[in-house]
Amino acid sequence: MAAVLTLTFAPAETWTLAGFFKALSSRLGGDAEPLDEEIIQRLVERARAGDRDAAQRLYRQNVDRVFRTVRGMLRSDAEAEDVTQDAMLAVLTSLDRYSPREGARFAAWVASVATNTARRRFRRRRPELTETGELPDVPDEQAQPERDVDTARERAALLRALAELTPAEREIVSLRYGAELNASEIAKLVKLEPANVRKILERTRECLGARIETLLKGTIA
Amino acid sequence: MNDTELAQIWTALEPNGRQRARIENRVFEWVEARETSLLAEWLSLIKVDPLQALGFAAMAAVSLLMFTPLGWVASSMLR
Repeated sequence: MAAVLTLTFAPAETWTLAGFFKALSSRLGGDAEPLDEEIIQRLVERARAGDRDAAQRLYRQNVDRVFRTVRGMLRSDAEAEDVTQDAMLAVLTSLDRYSPREGARFAAWVASVATNTARRRFRRRRPELTETGELPDVPDEQAQPERDVDTARERAALLRALAELTPAEREIVSLRYGAELNASEIAKLVKLEPANVRKILERTRECLGARIETLLKGTIA
Repeated sequence: MNDTELAQIWTALEPNGRQRARIENRVFEWVEARETSLLAEWLSLIKVDPLQALGFAAMAAVSLLMFTPLGWVASSMLR
């Protein structure tokens, strides 16, 4: 699906990267069509060289994925917004530090930035830990009328099921389904063996699946 | 629930329009701030409107023209 855009910008001499993004943000949502890794690498090189269009495409490709990932790890939309903001800023301003190893995907590097940002946020919140070591639930401040009913129910069920996992399980499962990383990529981020990550994922998927189905059938209506 | 179904349900965690806009606005503000050098920030603080500056210059010139001869007269009377 190719997006055809007509954008109106200020005169060329007043262009800034921020202005460029603002113009685009009014027209576009988050994730666009997934790009090949080879194309992403070329975009990274162009963005490093100051190409605004390349930087914008990288932003658009990753912002929703980062939010999905950190929302699964954290306990509120507000925290997820803050962490996504910090992580995306770090990604855009640290492209020079990105050095892809053989076979390493850009999405995995972005996920590592997001995970580290979320971990810092989690550490800062330690005084609010409950007796069980879990963060307390923080209700979302804003209603979300634009979400349809089914999505809202699924979201509520998923968040409630996630809240019953340990922080480590939430992190692993969020990296799998939010960031769409494979077990090997997750293993590098969480410093575990890939086989262990697969076991945790299998166990967690069963727990989450069963719990979500129960919640959707019963209590969340 | 299999892998695909769980991946599908995870999309429910995506940000809504307002959340996306807030994140973007904050990121843009920071990017813009990074693009503006400290020197430019200071220069913008002390920058003067050209018309206002012309008015001040004109007043200064008139003051010099009027008060310099008066100063000469006053100083000669004091001697």
